[in-house]
Amino acid sequence: MARNRLTNFVSSVYAVLIFGFIFLPVIMLVLFSFQDGRLPVSPFNGFSLQWYEAVFADRKLMSALLHSFLVATISSLVACLLGFFAAYGLARFKLPGSALQRGLLIAPMTVSYLIIALGLLSVLNVLGIGLSLWTVGIGHVVINLPLCFAIIYSSMGDQHINIERAARDLGASDIKVMALVTAPMLLPSLLASFFLSMTFSWDEFIIAFLLSRFDVTLPVEIWSLLRSGLNPKTNAIGSLVFLVSVVLLIVLELFLFGRTKKS
Amino acid sequence: MTDFIAGISAPRFLTFAATLALAAAAAALTSEPVLAQDELNALVWCDHTDPALIEPFEKANNVKVNLKEYEGTGAGLSIIDQSRPGDWDVLVIDGVDVQRAVDKDILAEIPADALPNADIFPDVRMEANNSRDGRIYAVTEKFGYNTVSYDKTKVDPADMKDMSKLWSEKYKGRIAVYDYYLPMIGLTGIDLGKATASLTDADMPAIKDKLLALKANAKQVSDVVSSQTALATGEVDIVFGGGEWLTAGLVKDKPNLDWTIPEQGAVRWAQSIGVMKDSTKKDLALKFVQYIVSPEGQARLATSSCYWAMPANAKAGEHLTDEQKAALRWNEQADYLKRTQLYPIPTAELDAKMQDAWTEMLQN
Amino acid sequence: MAHVSLEVAERRKAWSFVAPALVWTFVFFVAPFLFMAAMSLWEQQGGGIVRVWKLNNYIAFFEKDALFRGLTNSLEITAIVTVFSILLAYPLAWIIAERVPQKYQRTALILAILPFWTSYVVRSYSWLLVLSRNGVINQALLNLGVISEPLELASNRTATVIGFVHFFVMLLTLTIYANLVQLSPNYRRAAADLGANAFQTFWHVILPLTMPGIMTGAFLTFVLCIGDYVTPQILGGNNELVLPQIIMLQLGRRADFPMAAALSIILMLVVTAAYIACARWLKIERT
Repeated sequence: MARNRLTNFVSSVYAVLIFGFIFLPVIMLVLFSFQDGRLPVSPFNGFSLQWYEAVFADRKLMSALLHSFLVATISSLVACLLGFFAAYGLARFKLPGSALQRGLLIAPMTVSYLIIALGLLSVLNVLGIGLSLWTVGIGHVVINLPLCFAIIYSSMGDQHINIERAARDLGASDIKVMALVTAPMLLPSLLASFFLSMTFSWDEFIIAFLLSRFDVTLPVEIWSLLRSGLNPKTNAIGSLVFLVSVVLLIVLELFLFGRTKKS
Repeated sequence: MTDFIAGISAPRFLTFAATLALAAAAAALTSEPVLAQDELNALVWCDHTDPALIEPFEKANNVKVNLKEYEGTGAGLSIIDQSRPGDWDVLVIDGVDVQRAVDKDILAEIPADALPNADIFPDVRMEANNSRDGRIYAVTEKFGYNTVSYDKTKVDPADMKDMSKLWSEKYKGRIAVYDYYLPMIGLTGIDLGKATASLTDADMPAIKDKLLALKANAKQVSDVVSSQTALATGEVDIVFGGGEWLTAGLVKDKPNLDWTIPEQGAVRWAQSIGVMKDSTKKDLALKFVQYIVSPEGQARLATSSCYWAMPANAKAGEHLTDEQKAALRWNEQADYLKRTQLYPIPTAELDAKMQDAWTEMLQN
Repeated sequence: MAHVSLEVAERRKAWSFVAPALVWTFVFFVAPFLFMAAMSLWEQQGGGIVRVWKLNNYIAFFEKDALFRGLTNSLEITAIVTVFSILLAYPLAWIIAERVPQKYQRTALILAILPFWTSYVVRSYSWLLVLSRNGVINQALLNLGVISEPLELASNRTATVIGFVHFFVMLLTLTIYANLVQLSPNYRRAAADLGANAFQTFWHVILPLTMPGIMTGAFLTFVLCIGDYVTPQILGGNNELVLPQIIMLQLGRRADFPMAAALSIILMLVVTAAYIACARWLKIERT
């Protein structure tokens, strides 16, 4: 009993300290987005919304926000689709060299984003293809496809095979089986991989930096903004994105995740 | 891990996904309107991205100016290497690197009468850099100094007049070194009594030793942002290699920041602007260049958001307020120009040696 | 009318499912990588790339101390970061999995990874401010009388490590939690039945069972940390350089793509070595 209370106390203290550590930079970030002054450094002069106004008035920043959203959504969709199809093919059929194929699909996960970006840059250069948000999207699919594939593949258990077989016996074509039977059964992993892909793509910097030209994503625009010196405007946009994500998560929590009956 | 989001029903999810997709589509369609406008693509330094500078030109000529910033001439030239002819119309480049661009044959000749050469401060006309065989390829648009910025409440201003004090115990751990090897090697050379224009391979060992000693005395080697931040937060009290461009924009919030040119001298940087040879809109590009070097354009460029510095066109003074001129030390420029030297212009081999020395310095 | 056997038809169908992903990976990953490998054997001279096959770039890496140190710095920092992140994240994951009531676990986990959604770049600069001489931490410690002079926490390796650990504690909490929460309670019951106390249960049963989660997290940390450019660049003050920074230096003024390619290949080889070391725990198995 006493031991339990002790571990509970220690756990609570530890949790508070760690959460404090985790949230420290975020608190400073949000606090100084309200800085009444040009520099987001102490001392804190007072509350001002001027930087949030500046963010909304900044056309390039707003475009970058939109671009990030588009690139993240589209590249995650592509990565999920490709990953789903590949996982289906490798999990449901016997193919020669499947271990090698699996290895190949996972391989990009072990390569640093910088290298992937440099490689793509050189190849695009040789092929004479111009840089744009599309090339950024291509890079993001490259980094997210292994993730999607791994997550979906590892959740395609044999227990689903019978259901699919039943569907096929009833005359459904492969595509119908995939869309109406397999996909719904795998919904959690599909969503998990889509969600993770979006998260990685949204904040990804180096690939977006090297593979874009005029239309850039948010992290690159923030980097450019910072070139002219530290600015509470970047704190404001950081806080805004944070706020939107929190709201989104709350929405998801309330409407999507719902009440789980099992653990 | 996927138990995490178990309990989601398919119909619910599909509704959600459909809403998201519609939102995305709506956002994409209602965003950037497609105007039948002319476009100009410029590869520039960050001070050209200020809307206050660009918008007047865009409105006057009904054109959209697309800007891509780059840092470091190598990065800029490789961006051009990786582009197709016609991708770029205007180029901003380090004054000392214009000849490299001419070697690569990427700049178009500019007719002499198109530029206000007579109005440009004589010391920064830099004909040797901006032209070849009597043909003009670029024009200086802005200049400034890599010298010493400091916090005058923490540091003895008299000390700052002597560059060698930066190597002394007194300021150990209180210095940020600007992260650009070319001017910093130039400054180190000046402290050793060598002129930047005459640096050779033989000078490198001495310079490397000086650099290592400087690094040992410094807190950090940092770029514009980090140097500015460090100076503003009091992390460091001196930025070696800084200048007006580092502090002018901060002066309102931090009036304790100042800069000076030591007795030994300092290094002068200059940026030039030119028209790309393969541009399909040479006339428009030239118009842009002319706007930038016009008195009004120059005044805006001088006080642009990324960094402030002296405009090359003396007539810009008519469009600057007294306050702005004071921050730029307008009236002291004649003296400063006399006491400062251009960046070193090394051969490819010497350049490689310099970068090696710099990398070694960073690692130690 | 040629009859295709059922097996062949099945096989063809299977290929058509896997092909898109394979093609994408080949065109946009394998091919660029091979091209980079080729380029690493060329040299940059004067303004252009000389396509003569030489190992010069690799030799330069081993000869030039500054370049080689980039690798050792990367390895040292990554090792420190991995160890600290695991040590800090495991207890947190354990607390969320074991001590937090079921219905709040998801909330607690989301809370623990929430800062993920502030911009990475802005967050790094925030750390710079927090760790600076006049930043919150120093001010707090000075006011409490713990120290008399501000600590040098910013623009050095300490700051880089703190920035990294901050990111990876969040990531590892996620992966270790996922692992912990899948463990059947039967293991614990069995251990209790056999007379083990709480600590013994943890050390001999739980810990080994969560090794896959730990190793996966550790490998992920290793890969992401060793290849990151942003955090060391913002927080390190250029007091030392890690390999990604050196790679970016090659691109900066000189545009030395071959050298950048060679250094990238070396980085890749190091990560591959780490993968082989961890391969045992990193198999992707279907449930």
